[in-house]
Amino acid sequence: MTASKVLLASYILVAIAAPLIAPQNPYDPLQIFGWEASSPPGTMGSGGYLYLLGTDGLGRDIVSTILYGLRISLVVAIVSSAIAALIGLTAGVSAAYFGKWVDATIMRLVDLQLSLPTILIALIAIVTLGPGIDRIILALVIVQWATYARIARGVALSEVKKPYMDAARLMRLPTSRVIFRHLLPNSIAPAITLIPIEVGHAVALEATLSFLGLGVPIDKPSLGSAVANGFQYLMTGQYWISLFPGLALFGLIACINLVGEDVRRNLDPRSQTR
Amino acid sequence: MKLGEFVRRRLLSALLVSLLVPATSWEVHAQEQGELRIATSYKLMTLDPQYANLNENTSLLSHIYERLVYQDESLDLKPGLSVSWRAVSETKWEFKLRDGVRFHDGSVFDADDVVYSIERIRDFLKPPSGGYRSYVSAIKSVSSPDPLTVVIETDGPVPNLPLTFSSIFMMNKPFGGFETTEALNSGNSGSPPVGTGPYRFESWRSGESLSLTRNDAYWGGKPAWLKVAFRVIENPAARVAALSTGEVDVADAIPARDVDGLKQRGARIASVGAARINFVQFDVDRETLPGVTGKSGEPIANPFMSPLVRRALALATDRGILVEKILAGYGTSASQVFPTGLPGTSAKLLPEAPDYEQAKALLAKAGYPDGFNLVLAGPAGRYPGDAESLQAIAQSWARIGINAQPSAAPFSVFNTKRAAGDYAIWYGGTSGEAVDIILRALLASPNKERGTGALNFGKYRNAAFDAKLAKAESIPVGPERNEALASATELVMADQPIIPLYHFHHVVGYGPRIGAYVMHPRGWTTAMQTLAATE
Amino acid sequence: MGMISVAFGRLSQAFLLLIAMSLIGFIGIHSVGNPVFNVVNIETATPEDIRLATIALGLDQPLWRQYLVFIGNVVSGNFGTSYIYHRPAFELVMSKLPATLELASIAMLIAAPLGIGFGLLAGRRSGTLFDRTLLKASVSALSIPSFWLAMMLILVGAILTGWFPSGGRGATLHVLGAEWSFLTGNGLWHLVLPALALAIPNIALIARLSRSGTIEVESQDFTRFCRAKGLSSRRILLRHTLPNISVPIVTIIGLQFGGMLAFAVVVESIFSWPGIGKLLIDSIQLLDRPVVMATLTFIAVAFVALNAIVDLFYAVLDPRVRLSS
Repeated sequence: MTASKVLLASYILVAIAAPLIAPQNPYDPLQIFGWEASSPPGTMGSGGYLYLLGTDGLGRDIVSTILYGLRISLVVAIVSSAIAALIGLTAGVSAAYFGKWVDATIMRLVDLQLSLPTILIALIAIVTLGPGIDRIILALVIVQWATYARIARGVALSEVKKPYMDAARLMRLPTSRVIFRHLLPNSIAPAITLIPIEVGHAVALEATLSFLGLGVPIDKPSLGSAVANGFQYLMTGQYWISLFPGLALFGLIACINLVGEDVRRNLDPRSQTR
Repeated sequence: MKLGEFVRRRLLSALLVSLLVPATSWEVHAQEQGELRIATSYKLMTLDPQYANLNENTSLLSHIYERLVYQDESLDLKPGLSVSWRAVSETKWEFKLRDGVRFHDGSVFDADDVVYSIERIRDFLKPPSGGYRSYVSAIKSVSSPDPLTVVIETDGPVPNLPLTFSSIFMMNKPFGGFETTEALNSGNSGSPPVGTGPYRFESWRSGESLSLTRNDAYWGGKPAWLKVAFRVIENPAARVAALSTGEVDVADAIPARDVDGLKQRGARIASVGAARINFVQFDVDRETLPGVTGKSGEPIANPFMSPLVRRALALATDRGILVEKILAGYGTSASQVFPTGLPGTSAKLLPEAPDYEQAKALLAKAGYPDGFNLVLAGPAGRYPGDAESLQAIAQSWARIGINAQPSAAPFSVFNTKRAAGDYAIWYGGTSGEAVDIILRALLASPNKERGTGALNFGKYRNAAFDAKLAKAESIPVGPERNEALASATELVMADQPIIPLYHFHHVVGYGPRIGAYVMHPRGWTTAMQTLAATE
Repeated sequence: MGMISVAFGRLSQAFLLLIAMSLIGFIGIHSVGNPVFNVVNIETATPEDIRLATIALGLDQPLWRQYLVFIGNVVSGNFGTSYIYHRPAFELVMSKLPATLELASIAMLIAAPLGIGFGLLAGRRSGTLFDRTLLKASVSALSIPSFWLAMMLILVGAILTGWFPSGGRGATLHVLGAEWSFLTGNGLWHLVLPALALAIPNIALIARLSRSGTIEVESQDFTRFCRAKGLSSRRILLRHTLPNISVPIVTIIGLQFGGMLAFAVVVESIFSWPGIGKLLIDSIQLLDRPVVMATLTFIAVAFVALNAIVDLFYAVLDPRVRLSS
């Protein structure tokens, strides 16, 4: 167990347990005291708990905002990556299996998408879809699926040529069975190694979109929008509103990326030698 | 290869030169010349003074162009290019013009220019240009019996017609036809904007900068600054930074939260309650409303039709948090459409402190002892404290059982959705030249023929108020009219058609080269409001 | 022959991309809201004003017809007039381009030498503390969301120390028909923080790439041969290793330059840098559709063209690569 893995595990644990350990529910207006807005770290709140990292411009406890924001950031990233992986893998494998126009269509789409910077695609997608947590997940799926599809197709192409595929075909197994029971499981490993890295990307991308004001709803801040809320207070010396959520966000992405590198190194036989 | 080397050398030497020149020389140079540098949030979008009636344009263009009538700091009318005006009859006005005024190109300002300016708005400018059209729509004819007299006839009585001319800029009549917006916008390469104002146009980049030089022949005496340089800086933090590093002498629209920091760094602050109102508006027209449900999610009839509910929500709104916390003290709690004390406001209406017990009792009396759910919509980033206010109001209302979900959207999105009927209750804002204009647009019953209720998106109707307002509007401008307006305001606010929230303050910061800065409630930022430091 | 068909394929794909993007962008902005509310002053305009302005902007037409009109105009080189600034949209984009170009160029001028330098050093001493530190640091640098990096640069470089301005472009000099900040001291001063914000992740990326390239090259026979010949390790590094890893580095620099044009969206917004990235975000907020479409098209074309140039470069520099595959 490396330090980054321990840290990542604790991040996830903390996110799951947020309602139990957070001193305040930042989504419940009755628990927030507007008159205590912008309190510096260490202020005693009238709710009977210490604002360890201070409060934001609306009186939300920063610690609680980070804990609850962490949940949103992680859920958005993991769910979107999972859906994107599923769609991407299926598309890539189908492209390899069917070939011809199916392959051409899917890969043309993939090429189109990968020929633009991700931030731009995410921007166009979220503007078109509108705000909301479900929309941002959808936007991230749209951004991510192509990467999986390209990898999966590459692997599946070499699988299709293997003898067991001929055998499956000769046995007249249904196409869906061939794809989902044989081709997919055998093509999945390289794509799996992508997932942690892509989750890291998704966290960063969601945060960026939320920062630009195109993401999650204002009363349910993710880590990204918590940082954005504090941006305007940065000049006034109320640094805590954006500094601490930003540190949490940075730590989270760094952990995911470090763990992702490990995973890739361990699973990818080519890089094992190095 | 050779060419590449050449370019490289040139680049390198250019870089070296720029590194060797001290970073501050540019500023020192500027200061010696008596240049006033202003960082403004108003992005100048066009040089056509009649294109759009937005502070974004008019604030900066008022250096170049002038109006017949001025509105002073207490919103009273003062002579501008017109020295006096009187109503000849109920539908006929006469304006006497200032003698000896010249445009920047040397031509004389006379009555023909006034006729031209009005006709350009009425007959020439086509949409999307607009906003001024409504000012001249009541004008039947304009004539110039002599070079210093303009006679205006209106379709019906318009007692506050002179107020109209505190908005319309006077342009120079060309030899033939009308000047196009495109020609004006092309700046120096086309026909540079020519007005009578204290500063002449030098150059601009739309949305970025405007350079002006002194008009030595100005009728009001020699202007204070040799040059004025406006820099458009939309990001408030960047404006604050530019002021605190001394890059500019004046910065407008300072966020209240930055005021203390600026003061610590030696900048001074001027502020004034804006002649405008931010409020919560209800849809009181439709039977059922989107997003408004009972506590367990069941559909309910429109609760805002009941004055008790509107009153309860008003009583449960903590304006103190909005004004003290969100606006950091640079706002005034509101009880009516303009800050109390301005002409036409009522001295009897005072902002209330929240009373949750009474509010709960009123809700129970209206049949909602447990409260209900609603979605409180509003724009984000349009007004100071808009999105934050939604959340703070939701916090207050939660204390009487109202479960309000704040929903903020960019301004145009917000307007599109409101126009589509997606909202039941929303945060809004409006401004105007006078109390009657806001009352007429915001609270009078929607009526196309009479042109009332343009901003009454909730379709609130109150016949008694309509009658009282119409009567007040027919009274000539003066104390009697103001009293009638105040009394109409008292009548309508008792019914709580809106929840007045706050009048935010215009806040301007200025540096050591400025002696004083006179704020204007209309929120303009101009060189004319500065007084150079005497040293 | 392969060259021509590849070029044709590239072109047709780029064309398809632009069509798809314009369609999605067009529908996207339309579905978001009605830009007319940003054109008229909603606080004073009458419903009639709004209706007339809607017609004048052509927004009363069905969407498909608006799109056809738009495409027709674009073919003749006209993206329409900005709803907000009343200037031709493409001209507006071009007027903001110098700011973005100089920002991205300066950022790359910082990132490339530093990244290559760190990478070569780490690669030479792979496995040492320096190498491991660099690897971890590069993961961290690549993990920092660009907006937070920019904010922290403002916090440290502007607010706490007061060394640099926190935003804006500063003084400019008019050369070659455009305004440039890097030609004035004040402008350079304003460039430092935003350029660093763009450069730092790229330093990490280029360093990682140079590192792995160096390790690969130095493990090959000819390097051992050079060493056996008694060449100094410095000479080997500069004369042999560097040229051999230059191909992937040039590639990544080209690709990242295109990426910077896109990522400038974030950095420019935070530093109020008046480039095309900020123009794009502002225009999206204001629903200024002609400008959004012109900016998107420009960024996409620039990105695709850069990729193509990089590929071409690749083929010229490295004879092992053939475009046909």
